[in-house]
Amino acid sequence: MFLAWKEMRRNKTRFLMIGIMFVLISWLVFILAGLGNGLTTLAASTFKNMAADYVVFEKGSQASMGKSLLSGELTDELLKIPGVEAASPMGIIMGSAVRKIDDSHEAKLDIAIIGIEPGSFLEPPVAEGTGLDAGRPTYAIVNETMKDEGYERGDTFALDGTSVSLTIAGFVRNQTYNHVTAVFIPIDHWRELAFAAPGSDKGIRNPVNAIMLQGKAIDPETVNERLPGTETVTRAQAVQGIAGYKEESGTIMMMLGFLFVISAFIIGVFFYVITLQKSNQFGIMKAIGARNGFLGKAVISQVFILSLLSIVTGVLLTYGTAAVLPEGMPFILDTTWMIAYSLILLAIALLSALATVRTIVKVDPLQALGRVE
Amino acid sequence: MTQGLEMRAVSKYYDAGSERITALDRVSFKVEPGEFVAVVGPSGSGKTTFLSIAGALLRPSEGEVLLNGKDISKLPDKELADIRLREIGFILQASNLVPYLNVMEQLLLVKRMAGKITEADKTFAARLLEELGLSGRVKNYPEELSGGERQRVAIARALMNDPSVILADEPTASLDTRRAHEVAALIAHVVKSHHKAAVMVTHDERLLSYCDKVYRMEDGRLSPAEPVPVA
Repeated sequence: MFLAWKEMRRNKTRFLMIGIMFVLISWLVFILAGLGNGLTTLAASTFKNMAADYVVFEKGSQASMGKSLLSGELTDELLKIPGVEAASPMGIIMGSAVRKIDDSHEAKLDIAIIGIEPGSFLEPPVAEGTGLDAGRPTYAIVNETMKDEGYERGDTFALDGTSVSLTIAGFVRNQTYNHVTAVFIPIDHWRELAFAAPGSDKGIRNPVNAIMLQGKAIDPETVNERLPGTETVTRAQAVQGIAGYKEESGTIMMMLGFLFVISAFIIGVFFYVITLQKSNQFGIMKAIGARNGFLGKAVISQVFILSLLSIVTGVLLTYGTAAVLPEGMPFILDTTWMIAYSLILLAIALLSALATVRTIVKVDPLQALGRVE
Repeated sequence: MTQGLEMRAVSKYYDAGSERITALDRVSFKVEPGEFVAVVGPSGSGKTTFLSIAGALLRPSEGEVLLNGKDISKLPDKELADIRLREIGFILQASNLVPYLNVMEQLLLVKRMAGKITEADKTFAARLLEELGLSGRVKNYPEELSGGERQRVAIARALMNDPSVILADEPTASLDTRRAHEVAALIAHVVKSHHKAAVMVTHDERLLSYCDKVYRMEDGRLSPAEPVPVA
């Protein structure tokens, strides 16, 4: 610490430049992470926030709601399987909400219409207004982002391309599916919307897209055996099955991965070059008795101080960025992930520093004596 | 009291391709506490090798090196570093200070390497700096010092660990005549006042008058030179 800190104070410009570079890298890492988190939340928050453990799909549907069609009557049979504590059907169709602004203008909003059983564990708690009621099939609970579009409680909107209108009974939080606002309605009414075309239900009774299960001890194999033609996956796998989800999060993760590798190299090379520059100094200090450990500790603690300050600055800048980003931007900072990425960056920096310690070990104290004969 | 430095039939060989080069050829040599010895010789004569072995930087191929009565010729690297830290004071050529430490910190670094810095260390460092006329420069950085002042700091640093022997490698190489004399005189002074054994390797014959004994190094062989009157 002694040497590390003194040197940084004496060579402020040099270390400030490395620091700025590291700040920019960490800032970018955090922004990408926030963006990635925001996007995946938009894509799947309904699924992620759902109190379900397993999802039963039609066999061969690759865990995709859109490809799966099951009979809602399987719910009763699922409840008989050991480990299943609760089961509730669900269906999703995409649509548009249409709101008249005046006689010649109307505003359209993409929505995901999600059918659930009123009162089941799938119904998200309302933040405002009242929940779903099987007796009022045209009343919906919607994600609160619809407020930003000018919707209020009690408003009625039409579904584009249909003669159906829905009324907002209440608002829920953090409910989006496939990047669009989630609108929950009773599943019986949903069925009428989803299978309005004759024959689109393929003759299945009470058709739904999937059945959600609660119960930690569920064995997916048992479910598949008991109910041929079904495929049971964990909720996390179902999230992966959402159209475009894997591709989107994969892209972000790849960028993050590359950033980590790049930062490792940049930091590593910088400290390597600085260490090389100082090899004469290290030689002198070794000549007067410095051990490798003493000098190694100096370099590592220097990297530690510098990285820590840079990462903290990066975190602050990221929260600053979040504060000025426009409302609709899918940007969500998750403290756990921020800490995890900070630690990864710190670990990368320290590992790079460890690599340069090898250079120090190789420095021969003899070079301090003019020349070697 | 320490016993100074003694070499007994020390040889050092290097392999250069198929040839075997003898850098030091059965060198025997002794320096007592309070004695200031100079080793002169042309470049390539083996002076640096001699100093490296005396300074625990290099192990001899043959022979014994007794530092304060202890044979250090066969110690492993880690223990050699420890010997350098505790038993040897190095005064190297110019610009051998750590650029980002001030004068006081240069001295305390030696103690820092050995462990914690105590108040006694700080007092000792301040006294050394005063003795070497650097009291006004305690907070200055090497780049703010003249060449002579830097070497004085180096002398103070060499004394900081209260060594058994002081080794000086061309300490006046980059100084003008006046400052070279000043530095050599100072080394001679601290050798007496701190009762240290000291060896100076130099090619600057003007400075030999400060030394008690002069040896000449030629082709790896060390021989006593004509006595020089003490200045």
